[in-house]
Amino acid sequence: MMPRSATTRVLGWLALLALLVGLGLAFGYAPRESIQGNVQRIMYVHVPAVLTAYLAFVLVLVGSIGYLASARAGWDRLAAGAAELGVLFTGITIASGSIWGKPTWGTWWTWDARLTSTAILFLVYVGYLLLRAMVDEPERRGRFAAVVGIVGAANIPIVHFSVKWWRALHQPSTILGPEPSPIAAPIAAALAANWAAFTLLFVYLLVRRIEIARLEEAAFLGGARAR
Amino acid sequence: MPDNWGYVLAAYGVAAAALLGYWRHLVRRGRALAASRRGDRGAT
Amino acid sequence: MPAYARRVGIVLWKDLLVERRSKESLNALLFFGLLLLFLFQFSLGPDRARLESALPGLLWLGFVLAGLLGLGRSFLAERENDCSEGLLLTPGDKSAIYLGKLAANICVMGVVEIVILALFGLFFDVDLARGLPGLAVILPLGTVGLAAVGTLFAAVTAQVRARELLFPVLLLPIQVPVLLATVSATQVALAGQPLADAGPWLQLLAGADIVYLVIGLLTFEFVLEG
Repeated sequence: MMPRSATTRVLGWLALLALLVGLGLAFGYAPRESIQGNVQRIMYVHVPAVLTAYLAFVLVLVGSIGYLASARAGWDRLAAGAAELGVLFTGITIASGSIWGKPTWGTWWTWDARLTSTAILFLVYVGYLLLRAMVDEPERRGRFAAVVGIVGAANIPIVHFSVKWWRALHQPSTILGPEPSPIAAPIAAALAANWAAFTLLFVYLLVRRIEIARLEEAAFLGGARAR
Repeated sequence: MPDNWGYVLAAYGVAAAALLGYWRHLVRRGRALAASRRGDRGAT
Repeated sequence: MPAYARRVGIVLWKDLLVERRSKESLNALLFFGLLLLFLFQFSLGPDRARLESALPGLLWLGFVLAGLLGLGRSFLAERENDCSEGLLLTPGDKSAIYLGKLAANICVMGVVEIVILALFGLFFDVDLARGLPGLAVILPLGTVGLAAVGTLFAAVTAQVRARELLFPVLLLPIQVPVLLATVSATQVALAGQPLADAGPWLQLLAGADIVYLVIGLLTFEFVLEG
């Protein structure tokens, strides 16, 4: 199935190109990190993924508020699509962070601030998607989801601070993090390139997801009219 | 530290699988929707 | 303004009156608290030191679990007795209903929490006296945080499939920061330390409470429409 517009297709190819460039920089241009070795290259997936996830959840907030304010379905489609992608990228963040942690910290999971906050975020938005799955009527679904979406987004800074302080109480800060410090220029470049690539991919997937939602709602309404 | 390429591969692999899988899921859904719409139009 | 306050009062009074007459929720919640106490004791074993060190966590686990049960029923009475339209037809700002329900929930949860606290002190043989002034601040702050979101989500899930599953699934992740803050602050209070040591946690709780309350007040009318 070809995407509707030429713009979407260009966006898709652009995203693919950017991903390949990012991959090349991550493995060809960025140096092997001195302390951690090549395992540190996982950062070029982990950090862009979490940044993209946060972008997604900001869009969920925007879509939620927009829908409550205007009752126009486009805002709800934005929120729903962004939430799905947010869960996807959060999952990638957690998986890559965990895989990075095993050889570095010796354990698959650790309650460090970022992993913990990200895991909570994951749970919040999986709940959001579950709620959407339990309501069939689009208008109610959008309203209920918007309310939950707003609470979830407002909670993000609260989670951030509470987890940070909690971790400071219970765990000594680790010297090793995915990002080496100070960050050398090639590493920063590879990071930025992969972040841009992930963002492009996110936008492309979001556009396609919203298009599908639009078609589905039209089919739902069309079916209702036929009945 | 040893290089742990296996872990690097695993992390990139998981990310690629997830993203590719989601994209294919979207494409498939799009196809199904387009087919059903064509079917509806054909019926009327 | 007075009309709004009166409406809040009416909802609060109605809910408390129903509760006082039937004592349905309250009795069951109190009994649930007692059961939890036994469960904690059995699952953690007889080691008194272990229980005492886990006490802040166990206490708030108890409050949260009881809260899940109690809060989840916030709109059950209206639903079961077909009174939901009555709520919808209420004139004026629907957020008054939210505040009234919230106030009623806080009252009930307050009673439940105090009883659970007393039971814990009794059965786990813990000296709560020195922690009481601190707890008097921490408990309301934490309860408002729990109830503010819980009342809102109860209204959302009241009209949704699988609501008994969805309510905890939605509420618990949101409550994590509140839980972290209350448990940490309770630890400080029970250890007899000055409450100022838990200052940042209390500020976080107060800030979170305000955020949740504002969101509840602003969005409740959108939940009721359906």
